[in-house]
Amino acid sequence: MKIVIGSDLKGFKLKELIKMHLVQLGYEVKDLTPLKGNNYYDATLKVAEYIQANKEDKGIMIDEYGVGPFMIANKLKGIICANLFDEHSARMTRSHNNTNMVTIGSGIVGDRLAEKIVETFAAANYDGGRHQIRVDMLNKMC
Amino acid sequence: MRVSIGCDHIVTEVKNHLVKYLENKGHEVVDNGTFDKKRTHYPIYGKKTAEKVTLGEADLGVVICGTGVGISISANKVKGARAALVGDIETARYAKENLNANIIAMGGRIVGVGLMENIMDVFLETEYNKTPEKEEIIKKIDILGGNEEQSNNENFFDEFMEKWDRGEYHD
Repeated sequence: MKIVIGSDLKGFKLKELIKMHLVQLGYEVKDLTPLKGNNYYDATLKVAEYIQANKEDKGIMIDEYGVGPFMIANKLKGIICANLFDEHSARMTRSHNNTNMVTIGSGIVGDRLAEKIVETFAAANYDGGRHQIRVDMLNKMC
Repeated sequence: MRVSIGCDHIVTEVKNHLVKYLENKGHEVVDNGTFDKKRTHYPIYGKKTAEKVTLGEADLGVVICGTGVGISISANKVKGARAALVGDIETARYAKENLNANIIAMGGRIVGVGLMENIMDVFLETEYNKTPEKEEIIKKIDILGGNEEQSNNENFFDEFMEKWDRGEYHD
């Protein structure tokens, strides 16, 4: 599993921090917006389209609030994206919703919490079983 | 205001509390269920709640499940829905003011009831601050995704319910 990450200008600093944290933990991380100046719409599409083409990988998108990218990503077929602000949701959504992408708001979530959220998300596994009916429903919607 | 609301079986009692809260504030509430604690599936209620909003039967929507994630994703996958999953008031305000969010989503096992009430208040009260830039991004969100066959289609999930009833989804 590779982790791909993107951000707009307001999420750039936190994106760099999260990237370093994940690399230190031993994950392979690919930065899809290495330069400043992306807007969150285009950056979100970059991450989401990468996940659509690479189903084993996970995506992270950072802007100031997380909600814009969350709306955009979930409109795309096969993308199950959570806007996260706590570690419990990070673990639960991975194990129950088979989440393949997360958004974080750099203006809302502090640096240390953001690191722990992505760490928790990356380490969690999908439970499958009864949860799969809901995931099948989501994926039929788009 | 006319508010469409929905939840899954994990947080039915929280949803019932929010229905009463909204009614006491003078809002008309369309309760899409679920109505008990029997195991069910959040996309059914996320879709129903969002469609009331996108089809014009309600002004705004509220969806909750355990973390808020599953039901808000299903709401967002409805064409024309812009659901914001939040755990604080500021994000709710931002989403309405800038993205004209039409559904607010919260985790019934994540956010306390006092904060949920306050988030709903601010979400309902905040006005969308229209600018050409915001209109442009909203238009770009609205053109994405959304299976056309699903709109107002109560049988859309039948194939999965049949599989469930046959016991094919087991832990």
